[in-house]
Amino acid sequence: MTEATREIGFEEARELEERYLMRTYKRAPVDFVRGEGPLLWDAEGKRYLDFLTGISVCSVGHCHPQVVKAVHEQSHRLIHVSNLFYTEPMARLAERLAESSLGGRVFFSNSGTEANECAIKIARKHAHRRGVAAPEIVSFESDFHGRTYGALSATPGLATNEALGPMLPGFRSVPRDDAAALRAAVGENTAAVLIEPIQGEAGVFPISEEALLAAREACDEVGALLIFDEIQTGIGRTGSLWAYEQTPVRPDVVTSAKALGGGFPIGACIAAPEAAEVLEPGDHGSTFAGGPVATAAAMAVLEIVDDPVLLRHVRELGAYLREKLEALEGVAETRGRGLMVGVGLAGGIDAAAVGADLLERGLVVNVPRPDTLRLLPPLVIDSDHVDLAVDLIGESVLGFTAR
Amino acid sequence: MSPGRPKDFSKKQRELRADTAKRLEAIVEAAERAAASVIDDAEGEARRYLTQAREDADRLADRRSAELAETVDSLVVQAISLRHEAERLQASLEAAKARIAGAEDLPAPAPAERPLEELREAPRLRAVDTAAPAPAPDPPPQVEATRADPAGARLLAAQMAVSGSSREEIAQRLRSGFEIEDADAILDAILGPEGR
Repeated sequence: MTEATREIGFEEARELEERYLMRTYKRAPVDFVRGEGPLLWDAEGKRYLDFLTGISVCSVGHCHPQVVKAVHEQSHRLIHVSNLFYTEPMARLAERLAESSLGGRVFFSNSGTEANECAIKIARKHAHRRGVAAPEIVSFESDFHGRTYGALSATPGLATNEALGPMLPGFRSVPRDDAAALRAAVGENTAAVLIEPIQGEAGVFPISEEALLAAREACDEVGALLIFDEIQTGIGRTGSLWAYEQTPVRPDVVTSAKALGGGFPIGACIAAPEAAEVLEPGDHGSTFAGGPVATAAAMAVLEIVDDPVLLRHVRELGAYLREKLEALEGVAETRGRGLMVGVGLAGGIDAAAVGADLLERGLVVNVPRPDTLRLLPPLVIDSDHVDLAVDLIGESVLGFTAR
Repeated sequence: MSPGRPKDFSKKQRELRADTAKRLEAIVEAAERAAASVIDDAEGEARRYLTQAREDADRLADRRSAELAETVDSLVVQAISLRHEAERLQASLEAAKARIAGAEDLPAPAPAERPLEELREAPRLRAVDTAAPAPAPDPPPQVEATRADPAGARLLAAQMAVSGSSREEIAQRLRSGFEIEDADAILDAILGPEGR
């Protein structure tokens, strides 16, 4: 073991972080060192059930053998050559993604926010071709599209941070789910409506079918593009490969990332044929994107997830999870679809305190709102894992209800 | 010791050696015959397995081809059906637009004219209670129309079917999202009536 690979333990890692890392994250006091399936182990050997999966990234479970094998084999063959050349894993993955969604074409990126940057470029250039001089992109309030400047400008909750301003021009938002406001906001200058079909970071709020239909119709009326940010909802999370497959609309562009690489960073912007030819050489690019290892990992993920049996399992287990949660004292409601579940806690219960308590008890969840737990477990869990998680949540919430 | 003449075997020894050689030769011949027989048997067995496997593969391929052809035919029929539906919808929308334009040109259009009512109600799949009193002013027609938009319902059903959802799951979503209690017509068009 070299100095670089020596295990340093939680305290030393925290000291190094304090000294050398920018202070952009509030981390929970755990140092995870190993993962397998739905389980994680910290540096002290404590085991956790992971119902967060790195924010919906490790959807096939931690270190899935097929993903590990794909990464291992590809990294022994070829790691990087850039987009100046053809590489087979990228070509195969593009075919798989396009054929399993909108047809058309794919642009690979390294993350979700970059996938949205590509979508924004497509929308603006598409609008310029319609003769729109100052194109606008419309989103819902509390949408989350990313932290690079284009995606950030389309993220109303973060775009108000004046310390980071000015944001890019040409973005506006309307109240979530407000079909009438959306129709009113879309006009001749609209380049696109960019929305999450289920808002994730906001606390898991599915957009109603009325609002989705309104978005589709409004875009069709003016020739704008409908872009679905499926970075969190895609790759099987909701019980279909793409969340739009369970809605009454078909978007023109879909962006993907998170679970796509099974833990390996990769993003993709997939455009339907009518939007697929918009970007031309020189319009966009990336040095690393679509690299052989990332695309080999993603191909392995799709081999696992794009399976009707697994997707049915996700839908059924999601329904089972929500039914059990809704029977708990202290749970006011559940929201979501498939295994993307928001748990609204009854009035006064501090979700942050419950989340911290659950971590102590060995269950990893996320707290996107003061009153909501977000559950994003691996898609490959079974009902025993659900039973255990619900028992832990029930015990924890009960403790805070009684106080 | 210097090399000498070969040992002078006795007659009996020579006979014994010759006899032993013959017996060994017979054993080897028998073994060779047995081996040849085993090889022949194995080759025969292998040929039978191969033939059987080829026949099985051919049968499987034929069945898959037939299923595939059936699926493709079914998809083509559905696509044609959807196209016709879209064309009918387009035509009715054009007609509706024309009627609205005509109605707007009239100097004093009567409120709640029958054709306008029909236009508002046309996209709905739920039965209209004709005995009910005259409704309050309609909400914005576009928003209302989306609630029971048959094209949206069909697309939802088609997309869910493609993603592997069951007939029951799709019917449930059509009930909750579009208030379509009897979704059999839509589901039959997409999935066929066999799955009922």
